[in-house]
Amino acid sequence: MDWQAFDLSLRLASATTAILLCIAVPLAAVLVLGRGRWIAAVEALTTLPMVLPPTVLGFFLLVLLGPRTAFGRGIASLIGHPLAFSFSGLVVGSVIYSLPFAVQPLVAGFAAVDSSLVDAARLLGAGPVRVVLSVLVPLADRSLLAAIVLSFLHTVGEFGVVLMLGGDIPGATRTLSIVLYDQVESFNYVAAGRTAAVLLGISVLALVMIYSKTQMPGARDRA
Amino acid sequence: MRLPELSMRSLVAIFAAFLLAVPACAQASLQPQTPLRVAAAADLEPVLPPILDEFLRATGIHTEATYQASAMLTTEIENGAPFDLFLSADLGYPKHLIGDGLADAAGSADSSTPITYAKGTLVLWERKDSHLPPPSLDLLRDPNLKRLAIANPERAPYGRAAVAALTSLSLYESLKPRIVTAENIAQAAQFADSANADAGLISLTSAMTPRLLASGTYFVIPHNLYPPIEQGVVIVSNTKQRAAAHKFLDFLLSSPVQAELAKSGLTPVK
Repeated sequence: MDWQAFDLSLRLASATTAILLCIAVPLAAVLVLGRGRWIAAVEALTTLPMVLPPTVLGFFLLVLLGPRTAFGRGIASLIGHPLAFSFSGLVVGSVIYSLPFAVQPLVAGFAAVDSSLVDAARLLGAGPVRVVLSVLVPLADRSLLAAIVLSFLHTVGEFGVVLMLGGDIPGATRTLSIVLYDQVESFNYVAAGRTAAVLLGISVLALVMIYSKTQMPGARDRA
Repeated sequence: MRLPELSMRSLVAIFAAFLLAVPACAQASLQPQTPLRVAAAADLEPVLPPILDEFLRATGIHTEATYQASAMLTTEIENGAPFDLFLSADLGYPKHLIGDGLADAAGSADSSTPITYAKGTLVLWERKDSHLPPPSLDLLRDPNLKRLAIANPERAPYGRAAVAALTSLSLYESLKPRIVTAENIAQAAQFADSANADAGLISLTSAMTPRLLASGTYFVIPHNLYPPIEQGVVIVSNTKQRAAAHKFLDFLLSSPVQAELAKSGLTPVK
């Protein structure tokens, strides 16, 4: 078992999930509370990574954000090295790649909150930030959990972006899913079986966690 | 997830369409004109297409090539991928397949050894607009070389050669933290060409493509620094097109094609 890759996958997924929460909560609130045509465009854009081949994303990050474009050089001078082949590069890729998995459950959860509660909060003088933090988020806590778990799992399972952008560097970009691929390609099926079992275990555990929270009868009274 | 809901009726319609489509596709794939499927090492990607075109003109046999790292193709063949021929970038992987009874070195005197069709050359490639000195062994010792792309030594023969060459130069340990590993030799070239890596140890076949000749320069790594990259070919035992596969082998080893290999960065065996 490659514990270094295990640790790296968990660190990557944690960093990605933390960043995604900061982006996804306000974004989902805007999508639910906002009015106007541009809302549909924003929603389409946030859903795009879900249907976009990961290789497209890997290509953009490698070539368009690489050292041959002005933008890429800007990023490189900001973080001290090009995005490719680095942990921070993978975080950037993962945040984009897993964005819909954080936003979609939150949109569904926020939309299910009784709108009269939002109106009441507004009448009592709550600003938009307070409405989101004191009304929407607490009432959609299961959606928040789903958003966290799905972003985390989706990042652990990420493969295409990492393969195109990673460079297979131990401790920086060699994630568990890449290790599994390497093991299969080196005919090391025993080790591959172990790695696959760990990845399977992480996914099953996390999903059981979500469903036991969301389906426990009377665990939380919504009304 | 908010996805549009499908009615039961449309689901049944989609399912029925699938059921009808599957036999039609299966029929199509059983047509007699199935192309000869060639599994080829990634270093052949710039070399093989014109040769396959000439083969079609000479014999009327259609071919389809898949380019990947040699180990990856070997895994695929072990798992039943429908290839007819395997052109590896080394002798080890085809030998492995022969040992497993999955391939044979048809026509060769020693049936346990794949036929060598060419030898590969490792080069150090660097973009012309790089701020570092031009490619040479000194470039490998340059502390400003931050990222050196190589192919994965676990599965790509050129990657193994790169590690062997760096080890002969006693540079491997010091360069190790700065090495980025590509999926195969073509991706190593891509890493260097896109400037994400400062330089790459790539195949001469990649370095001699018009694109890389235009964007960069290369230095041939002295052959005594790494074991020869002998490239072997085998026929996949499950092939249903043995005659066509033999024709391709003869064609590949014929003098005009061997001369062409020489022009694309491989060392011919004849």
